[in-house]
Amino acid sequence: MKATIERAALLKSLGHVQSVVERRNTIPILSNVLIEASDGGGIKLMATDLDLQVVETVEAQVETAGSITVSAHTLFDIARKLPDGSQVQMDAADGKMKVNAGRARFNLQTLPRDDFPIIAEGDLPTRFELPATSLIQIIDKTKFAISTEETRYYLNGIFLHVQDEDTPVLKAAATDGHRLARVTLPRPAGAEGMPDVIVPRKCVNELRKLLDENSESSVQIDLSASKIRFTLGSAILTSKLIDGTFPDYTRVIPTGNDKLLKIDPKSFAQGVDRVSTIATEKTRAVKMALGDDKITLSVTSPENGKAEEEVPGSYTEEAFEIGFNSRYLMDILSEIEGDTVELHLADAGAPTLIRENDKSAALYVLMPMRV
Amino acid sequence: MTESAPDLLQRKIIHIDMDAFFASVEQRDDPELQGKPVAVGGSSKRGVVAAASYEAREYGVRSAMPSITAKRRCPDLIFVKHRFHVYREVSQQIRAIFRMHSELVEPLSLDEAFIDVTQDKMGIGNATRIAEMIRAEIKKQTNLTASAGVSYNKFLAKIASDQNKPDGICVIKPHQGADFVAQLPVRRFFGVGPKTAERMAKLNIHNGADLRAQSEDFLRQHFGKSAGYLFRASRGVDHREVRADRIRKSVGGERTYGDDLVTDSDLQDAFENIIDIVWNSIEKSGARGRTVTLKAKYADFRQVTRSHSVDHYVADKNEFAAIGRELLEQIMPVENGVRLLGLTLANLEGAEAADARSTASVHDANQSTFDFD
Repeated sequence: MKATIERAALLKSLGHVQSVVERRNTIPILSNVLIEASDGGGIKLMATDLDLQVVETVEAQVETAGSITVSAHTLFDIARKLPDGSQVQMDAADGKMKVNAGRARFNLQTLPRDDFPIIAEGDLPTRFELPATSLIQIIDKTKFAISTEETRYYLNGIFLHVQDEDTPVLKAAATDGHRLARVTLPRPAGAEGMPDVIVPRKCVNELRKLLDENSESSVQIDLSASKIRFTLGSAILTSKLIDGTFPDYTRVIPTGNDKLLKIDPKSFAQGVDRVSTIATEKTRAVKMALGDDKITLSVTSPENGKAEEEVPGSYTEEAFEIGFNSRYLMDILSEIEGDTVELHLADAGAPTLIRENDKSAALYVLMPMRV
Repeated sequence: MTESAPDLLQRKIIHIDMDAFFASVEQRDDPELQGKPVAVGGSSKRGVVAAASYEAREYGVRSAMPSITAKRRCPDLIFVKHRFHVYREVSQQIRAIFRMHSELVEPLSLDEAFIDVTQDKMGIGNATRIAEMIRAEIKKQTNLTASAGVSYNKFLAKIASDQNKPDGICVIKPHQGADFVAQLPVRRFFGVGPKTAERMAKLNIHNGADLRAQSEDFLRQHFGKSAGYLFRASRGVDHREVRADRIRKSVGGERTYGDDLVTDSDLQDAFENIIDIVWNSIEKSGARGRTVTLKAKYADFRQVTRSHSVDHYVADKNEFAAIGRELLEQIMPVENGVRLLGLTLANLEGAEAADARSTASVHDANQSTFDFD
């Protein structure tokens, strides 16, 4: 294999694939990136962790077609340190790959291409397209609620499912048992009849990075009950799905919460942030006392002392107190875009529904903390 | 407030406990023993009962009881030597049955385990039915009976399995948890031994309801670091997860003595008894370890520990006892009386790997969780 590629193009594509590669690998080939140069010009770069793989296609001048694998992180670091604008020549022969650019010469160890594991996609019968902006919205508004608890692996991702309501919808939900985030969008054409799937967190994170550079375009999604593939720009991301049953989360979304608080999310979040300065890792709880058109936020820490702040809001129901984990509350508030947020409360022990208004695509449910 | 509301992500946990395990295996394999009072363990002067058949229990024979006492209570008691390889085999069989229903199986010893069936791997539909299927399958495959406890956390599941023993099942539903705990004698709470129970009785705490009436501060003042556990448990709350990858880091045991041990011979006698009891639980757990630790608490509540590590796994009871005795000699003679003696085997096989894996998953007791069921 022999090919020449512009340094900036190589760096950009390697940046996409190398983050899939785990820093520590017990299987050596998983540290490597597969480089495939084809006769028609252009090379493919591919990395995998066995659950997730990224393939990136870049333009290059191919002299001799062929394929090889080299350490992804090493090649990425080399590309990073090469002078801008340089042409990088990669030449693989006899178990080594030479990398030449400007006055620098590298001779890298390789592993045979045939040892490189490729995820068998199988049949992906469902195909639909989503604007990158919709996908960004889904991820940003739900990702923070994904559980990291490995024993409940079926919560370690974003749950996607379609439903027929007044109009057909696609819903994305994530929960860690303490909070739930859900985005509802019109069902894209082609998604009808798709299986319920749970997209793992690592796939979500990698996808989000790729979306940053392709935020104008639309993303093609192909999936089966066990695999999902995202095609965006020059990148193709394929991931196994989490094999588990997502709980029937709709049952924890309260419908009869009759105490409505309307408040400015920014001053609310800032207030929570300020009073929680006092809170320690152990006592993240912030107490919220609701009264006539105002709330009083307070934190008491046995070690640090006390903090209190009043935030104006619109509230006319009976006064009561409720506690929340301040971080959970701020996670949600930071995703509210408008200048009002609605908190639908019931009592100090029941879940609270949070949303911008009844038309907003995103909805959050937060469980209280005893304070 | 949320005190009585189910504030855990509703889990479904089964605790399976084989009935008089070692003794039942012996009775199964030797028809001569069926229907008779049987004790597994040594009949010698120093021996202790590792397990007693239900017939023997009627005479008041209990596990960890000195064999001499057992023989006195039940003169017809038949002693049989343990056959750990057989128990281990049966243990493998029942664990395979558990795994048919869940990946989350946490064995506590050869004959008991927690199983988290929230995910319902086989799609049976309800936890009670799963527990009954497990019991039936155990009966079919091993010709032994097991008792099951089904509940929404580990604490209640374990207590429930003991409720209708032998060959029984008990289900504690989320709304029954608090009431169930209320009537529970304090002795049934994990970690409450006779001594602690006595101290509780003096404070007029006899059951779960009495415990629940106390503030966490009060409990902390009287029972130190168990306070948090007692506070939650008396409310039927237990956030511990069933951990399939949990590997024990140590096996051990200790005894608090009603009368302080003062003379060397009292101390040595008591110590030999501890060796027997602890070695029994080591064998029962199947653990192998390299460090032996002695713990002693003096009448003035001062505590000392002495430990000794060897470069191989402690081979047998003799070696374990020899290391233990050396450690005891290091603290003798005692000036003050000794009120507690304990021995632990640590540095267990596989524990290093488990250390590296264990993740800090901190559960805040005050944070409520969704009820998905």
